[in-house]
Amino acid sequence: MKLYIGGAYQGQEELARSENPGALIVTNFHETVREALLCGETPDALAARVLREHPDAVIVADEIGAGIVPLAAEDRLWREAVGRALCLLAQRAQTVTRAVCGIGMRIK
Amino acid sequence: MTILLTGGSGCGKSAYAERLIDAMPREGRVYLATMRVADDESALRVERHRARRAGRGFRTLEWPLALGEAPVAAGSVALLEDLPNLLANEMFSGGDWRRVAPDLAALAAKCRHLVIVTNDVFSDGVAYDGQTREYMRRLALINRAAAELSDYAAEVVYSIPVTLKGEAPCV
Repeated sequence: MKLYIGGAYQGQEELARSENPGALIVTNFHETVREALLCGETPDALAARVLREHPDAVIVADEIGAGIVPLAAEDRLWREAVGRALCLLAQRAQTVTRAVCGIGMRIK
Repeated sequence: MTILLTGGSGCGKSAYAERLIDAMPREGRVYLATMRVADDESALRVERHRARRAGRGFRTLEWPLALGEAPVAAGSVALLEDLPNLLANEMFSGGDWRRVAPDLAALAAKCRHLVIVTNDVFSDGVAYDGQTREYMRRLALINRAAAELSDYAAEVVYSIPVTLKGEAPCV
């Protein structure tokens, strides 16, 4: 599994596609976390399921944690859960690439 | 050695801070907790952090305000968590935000090792009200002062430390 992250619209999805032709690309993983929470799935369970079901996938997510603490409890919970799930995936990923202005930095 | 760790919410800063501490002397370990427990959510967070720290030999000081008055002995190995809460308490609970940076410098000078945890709250593009903007500006100033006095500074990105300054100690 490879992980591509970055702030909104930083080009992580394009990088993931261009560097991994033919691979299964899972986009908007941060939104998958939100859906999982709504279905009662914990971030730990979600990360484990992704690793089990798609061990060779390329996962793309937005970084959403670098802001003022949200007022709504469900937004705070989502933010924490995205962090938790991505920490778990990053630890298991072969590579982690962070996009800034379309430029990929291989941080792992 | 003084270390500053920043990063977004839930990015693994605390876990990395604890890994750094693990490689430091066990003697004189102090955990400076700045968050006030206001509700079940913060109580749960405190509980989670406490469970992770268990067995690491920390003496915990709940210190939400006036960091300079915390009874930290010279030569301590301290983990301070975190600056955003400390600043919020100084600003909104009758403290004085101006003392945060000098208090930090004095603490760093006193400690054998100090690991400071802060937060990146600057990149969500939301236009906040004046008071929140002022909070952000002050936190940025304090973060910059903390980085200035640190030997090693890193942004933790989903558990991966990305060096901003200096060299990471071996962990």
